[in-house]
Amino acid sequence: MLVPPVSQDAQVINNLYAILYVLSAIVFLLVEGLLIYSVVKFRRRSAGDAPEQIHDHRGFEIAWTVLPMILVAAIFLLALNSMGQLEASGTLNDPLNHVHGINDQVAIKRINEAKKVDMVIQVTARQWVWQFKYPDGNFTVNQDLVVPAGKTIRLDMETADVIHAWWVPALGGMIYVNPGEISSFWFSAPAGAYTGQCNAFCGLAHAQMLANVKVLSQTDYDAWYAQQTASSSAPTGAGDAARGETFFMNGPCVSCHTIDGTKAQGKVAPRPLTHFATYEKIAQVIPNTPENLTKWLHNPQEVKPGTQMPNLALKPQDIADLVAFLESLK
Amino acid sequence: MASVSIPIEKPGTWGKVAEWLTTVDHKRIGIMYLASSFFFFLLSGIFALVIRLQLAAPGLKIVDQNVYNELFTMHGTGMIFLFVIPFLVGLGNYIVPLQLGARDMAFPRINALSFWMLLFAGLVMEGGFLIGGTASNAAWTAYVPLSTKQFSPQVGMDIWLFGIVLLGISSTLGGVNFLVTIYTMRAPGMTLWRIPFFTWSIIVTAAMILLATPVLTAALIMLISDRNFNTQFFTTANPRLWQNMFWFYSHPAVYIMILPAMGVLSEVIPVFSRKPLFGWKAMVISTILIGVLGFSTWVHHMFVTGVDPMVERFFMFTTMVIAVPTGVKMFSWIATMWKGSVSLKTPLLMCLGFLSTFVIGGISGVIQGAIPIDMQVHNTYWVVAHFHYVLFGGSVFGIFAGLYYWLPKITGRMLNDKLGKVQFVIMWIGFNTTFFPMHILGLEGMPRRIATYAADRGWDIPNLIATIGAFMIAASVLVFMINYVVSIIARKGEVAGDDPWEGNTLEWATSSPPPVYNFAHIPVVTSNRPVYDKRVAAQVKPEG
Repeated sequence: MLVPPVSQDAQVINNLYAILYVLSAIVFLLVEGLLIYSVVKFRRRSAGDAPEQIHDHRGFEIAWTVLPMILVAAIFLLALNSMGQLEASGTLNDPLNHVHGINDQVAIKRINEAKKVDMVIQVTARQWVWQFKYPDGNFTVNQDLVVPAGKTIRLDMETADVIHAWWVPALGGMIYVNPGEISSFWFSAPAGAYTGQCNAFCGLAHAQMLANVKVLSQTDYDAWYAQQTASSSAPTGAGDAARGETFFMNGPCVSCHTIDGTKAQGKVAPRPLTHFATYEKIAQVIPNTPENLTKWLHNPQEVKPGTQMPNLALKPQDIADLVAFLESLK
Repeated sequence: MASVSIPIEKPGTWGKVAEWLTTVDHKRIGIMYLASSFFFFLLSGIFALVIRLQLAAPGLKIVDQNVYNELFTMHGTGMIFLFVIPFLVGLGNYIVPLQLGARDMAFPRINALSFWMLLFAGLVMEGGFLIGGTASNAAWTAYVPLSTKQFSPQVGMDIWLFGIVLLGISSTLGGVNFLVTIYTMRAPGMTLWRIPFFTWSIIVTAAMILLATPVLTAALIMLISDRNFNTQFFTTANPRLWQNMFWFYSHPAVYIMILPAMGVLSEVIPVFSRKPLFGWKAMVISTILIGVLGFSTWVHHMFVTGVDPMVERFFMFTTMVIAVPTGVKMFSWIATMWKGSVSLKTPLLMCLGFLSTFVIGGISGVIQGAIPIDMQVHNTYWVVAHFHYVLFGGSVFGIFAGLYYWLPKITGRMLNDKLGKVQFVIMWIGFNTTFFPMHILGLEGMPRRIATYAADRGWDIPNLIATIGAFMIAASVLVFMINYVVSIIARKGEVAGDDPWEGNTLEWATSSPPPVYNFAHIPVVTSNRPVYDKRVAAQVKPEG
């Protein structure tokens, strides 16, 4: 019933679950069976029933103390064994020891040496978006992580605000991202799309903090990568409303914003953007002009400190496209 | 035993109100505990229905996301702090002095203070909905830094924290009161091994309250101080400091909520099987062991937060080991029915509801205690399913067993057994319909505490089934309320008499309801079933 595992770690967890499921089913059937039998067999048949007053039975009491102890010990050992397998799969010397202080140089060195990885991606979790910064391209993408298939990837995750938790079920394992710490997560997966989302309640739009992992073949990945770097180095041209719309509908915007009649049905932002171009002010603070909108999208916190809209680190071209799109919403 | 009735002047309406407001009688305080926590049960239950409506289908917007976050926060805190704990404490308040053969609690005024603080605290916590418009919405765990002023600026958060501080003080006072009462006010002849089992459960519960609650209270005061007086207890500390302090209380709280319900079962099952509780000493010892081990498992709530792995292995072991004393209890209850004469009246059916569902909660607890499994199910709907199987399947069925068993004592009238059976059937089916599919949702990757989900995640059907189940539970509670109104308020129920169930313990040796002073003569106890002994002696006499 678990999400089909695609990584080695997820497979280990799945195998353990399968064994424990069978053991549980046996215990469950035994207890429920005894319960049903005793109620049906020993139900009161006449008002005058006077059963024998049995107070205890040493043998049975020892049996139902010792047998569960053995069972529990077995489950404990099985769990330890699985932890050993997670360890052997290479995710550091211990499957759980992924978290360390941001300035803990010893731990950082240990993590770097622990396992050879093909790519390290810096991840920032913030209310309410996952942001992925690529090593050399010097660009950041929101929500959709794109990686090459079969390569070992390490995510070094920090939070910009509250506690978040990384969890993509098919990749197996979950890890908190705590303030002042870096949480590392290793994986290697075949091509495919794997959906996950923040799994530690992080406030208002927690439900929309998705993390989509798109694993592409090396060729597709290279093409995607080239496109990302190209657009980020290209000079900002005039905004294109159609591209802005595509970006809006497929990016993080829709988790919070509504535009009636479209798939954008986010409920966080106080006012729908359906007729945005007719609004007098942006965020009720600055006049609604393309220049101000550019400034706002570049860094909302600078314009209105404390606003719920995060700095999404948008690229200049995307901002120009978004401005063109939003100013067309009459 | 027939009670002596003393003619007193009947007070008028206002006189009656004044009597209740100023009472220090443990029975009246117990009734007020039961009534007010039942009110919070209904309120939190309505929150749950709204939550289930919102999740019935993908993308629904019955309520705003912000309201949804308030609702699940207040559902959790309401059910835990304002219903299950005070309801069981209220039952204890009414029943324990009677079971001990005492005339009241050791500190009747402190007892009244505990109740009034609880009621006030409850209203303060819910008051966030009215003051400033936003109640606490950072989940019942209120993890730092989400619960700090920076991320949750509303006043509703402060008064919610303040309310729980009050509850903590109320609860701690109650714990002391129970322990002193049970230690000093037992009837002559009532040695430790002869203390009735429900009272034994209250001893362990009270001790746990006394040891655990002050830690939470301290944490809450530190957080209030961080929020309002610019202290830096949590903001500069290890991010797990709050989590440790919170779970050091909140895991034992699970046992605070389940042990008294287990105590109810240990009273009802023997009476309705006409047999003594099987393995009395093992049962007492396992209760104490659960209490002790309950303090050594809290880190299993933090397995994926980056705690030292060796520490985690230790807590994995203690978490699993607690299944052993729990298993002893399960088997002992079944053995109590074995070769007995099991009467299938509503109180026993409710016990069967407990046994048949709690076993699932117990098993899933061991499974998710395994760290690798927890790495996949932590914070998912699997966990929501697990703890509802423990706290609803366990505690709430236990509570209803206790109500059907003791309301005749408290009110003097029997609840209708047919309606009781109808309630049981709807509740049992509704409960499993609601919570079993949540296991599947969790395994399929649905996190808890999300206000909505997209259609492409494939979570529609289990969610819809769960919502239908939730309304069945609501219907079953409605049946209970109808039963109460018809049988007790409209006085259609049979008159209970002193001992309608052939009880074992001293509350059945006085009238229903008992007089203010409980017993005209303090009874003398020679076993752990004094009323059974008396009944047997009375049966033998005419023949002999």
